[in-house]
Amino acid sequence: MKIGIPNALLYYYYGPFWTEFFKELGAEVVVSHSTDKKTVDMGIGVSVPEICVPIKIFNGHVLQLLKSGVDYVFIPRMASVEKGKYFCPKFMGLPDMARHSIPGVAGKLLTMDVQSRSENIFSPKMYYSIAEKLAVSDKRIELACRKGAEVWRKFRKLGLGGRTIAEAFEGLKNPNRIKEPVKIDGPKIGLLGYVYDVYDEFVSMNVTERLRQLGINVLTFEMLSNRELKRYIKKMKKSLFWTFSDKLLGGAYKMFRERSVDGVIHVTAFGCGPDAFLGKLLELESEDSGIPFMTVRIDEHTGENHLQTRVEAFVDMLKRKTVPVGDAIRGHAKEKDRSGG
Amino acid sequence: MKYSFPYLGNVLVYKKLLEMLGYEVVVPPRPTQKTIDLGTKNSPEFACFPYKMLMGNYIEACEQGAGIIVTSGGHGPCRAGFYGELHERTLRHMGYDVELIIFDSIKRDLRGDVSKFFRLKGKNSLRKVISTGRVILRMLKDLDEFDKKIHTMIPYETVHGSCLKAFEEIRSSYDRCWTMKETETAYEEAKELLASIKLEEVDERDKIRIGVVGEIFVVIESSINMDIENTLCSLGCEAERSQYIGEWVDHNFFGKGREKEILKMGEDYIKIIIGGHAKQNVGHIVDYSKRGFDGVVHLMPFACLPELVSQSIIPRISEDYGIPVLTLAIDEQSGKANSMTRIEAFVDLIKNSKRKKMAAKTA
Repeated sequence: MKIGIPNALLYYYYGPFWTEFFKELGAEVVVSHSTDKKTVDMGIGVSVPEICVPIKIFNGHVLQLLKSGVDYVFIPRMASVEKGKYFCPKFMGLPDMARHSIPGVAGKLLTMDVQSRSENIFSPKMYYSIAEKLAVSDKRIELACRKGAEVWRKFRKLGLGGRTIAEAFEGLKNPNRIKEPVKIDGPKIGLLGYVYDVYDEFVSMNVTERLRQLGINVLTFEMLSNRELKRYIKKMKKSLFWTFSDKLLGGAYKMFRERSVDGVIHVTAFGCGPDAFLGKLLELESEDSGIPFMTVRIDEHTGENHLQTRVEAFVDMLKRKTVPVGDAIRGHAKEKDRSGG
Repeated sequence: MKYSFPYLGNVLVYKKLLEMLGYEVVVPPRPTQKTIDLGTKNSPEFACFPYKMLMGNYIEACEQGAGIIVTSGGHGPCRAGFYGELHERTLRHMGYDVELIIFDSIKRDLRGDVSKFFRLKGKNSLRKVISTGRVILRMLKDLDEFDKKIHTMIPYETVHGSCLKAFEEIRSSYDRCWTMKETETAYEEAKELLASIKLEEVDERDKIRIGVVGEIFVVIESSINMDIENTLCSLGCEAERSQYIGEWVDHNFFGKGREKEILKMGEDYIKIIIGGHAKQNVGHIVDYSKRGFDGVVHLMPFACLPELVSQSIIPRISEDYGIPVLTLAIDEQSGKANSMTRIEAFVDLIKNSKRKKMAAKTA
């Protein structure tokens, strides 16, 4: 039995758990290949025009899996992973949308409701509903949940150690050759964005790598522990309703208020609803703290050069700011000497 | 300190409520292009349209001296629940000395709601507040009833504009009411007034009924939805909205109304409540088709999160139940001519197919 998992949206966060879970149940797990132009185009074909890019990409991945001949496509309904918090409505209606708008999904849809009080979505109770469909016993589900949870914890530990999601995935694959977290001696930038925007190389055009090449130390929200993320949020009268937006906001507050970064970049997808509000809050916070802030909005038409130019300009500005004027001029003169010969 | 509120639907009722409790009230002006421009300028680009409209609305109210704005909150996952927080911050940032009293969902913040209630209650006795509440609720429901009623009459009126004129009269007579007794008299008079309007005799089979579903703000507020009901009426159709403030209050405060039934009908398409009124809307479309309506207009603000889900699913419902649905996204850039053309074409198609069906039946 082949089970397809779309390599999009929360795969970037819960993927290791789901993959291990289904493997443990004895299924062959097919993860769609990373996003490319064709995936996006296919997704656009079956999506409502004005829906956000990540959903269009997700639909593309679902089509990709259907084409490769899987028996089931796993599309969980992400309702809540925190008490009193939800996901964006589009995540909560994801299986409904897929079933009714993507041709061919209806018979192959494997879904369950993720409704949990914490980030640990491994309670077997939620997964019993799919036991019947896959003809496995509840006992096996329990075992698979446990095994999957172990892998996921390992994955998160790698991330909390200062590795990006991409590096953490890499670390899981080659446990013997886990790389040390990248440490760069240079300005620090907080890179805020959902995992499926920042780590989808097609969407973000690998902005983390770009920043590192420019000599920037990158800090993302997954590198911060939940406690750290909650520190400032707790004091708010009313925080955002969406778990991951809330995490980003918590991360941002920590960065801005503790002045632990030199600048903040917010990566967001065109048409992202929660980000419209999150962005405004970040903007207000940046004004209050005086720490530079930039929004990079990405959609299916974004060109690489535009991103490169903006990121470079932002980094140049930061470097100017952090290096004393005298040193900058002297450094500039030295560079000139070298190049001028 | 002057009090104000968001402009939505029959604002007369909110004004009366605050006045009856003894507050000085600023009624925000009916949203115009200027309101929307002001709002758009001071909102995040990708915020939903109702957010922008309310932003402009609040700014105009502040300009007229409002110091406190009473509004409702929410618990997500729809963005509307967070409007108040962001509006307040933005207004303060702009230099207005204003406070928003936001009534959140009772489940989320009962304590806060109670303290806000007592704050608004002020020196009024609890008895007075309750009796005021009853009068206001009555007014709300009455006005909704007449609102609903006239939109089944306009297409057949013999004197053009007589229904809307009557409705205006009804509103101003309610504006003069202060007690339950007066309200009851106003109700009887209003009923008589409506009964006196001359209507053409039209065969039941020739009547065309169109339901309007969608996000609550754009469905209810006629100044931003191209006056959809009257537009449909002017094209010779009866129109009925899926949302009325009175029903909303009934459901949210008293757990009454048809909402449960409607949600059940939406179950097949959207399993859980995903915020906003997406599931209700899906249910309403099913309901309209079961009640024999000829078509449905689905209104949504551009990039509304829950409505995007229902929009994705609507083609399927339309196919399953054989009811035509027209989705219109509304935002600050909507051109009226474009939407008008689409609505006219939609109504023409419905009329044609109905005529064909009738002809086939009689033949």
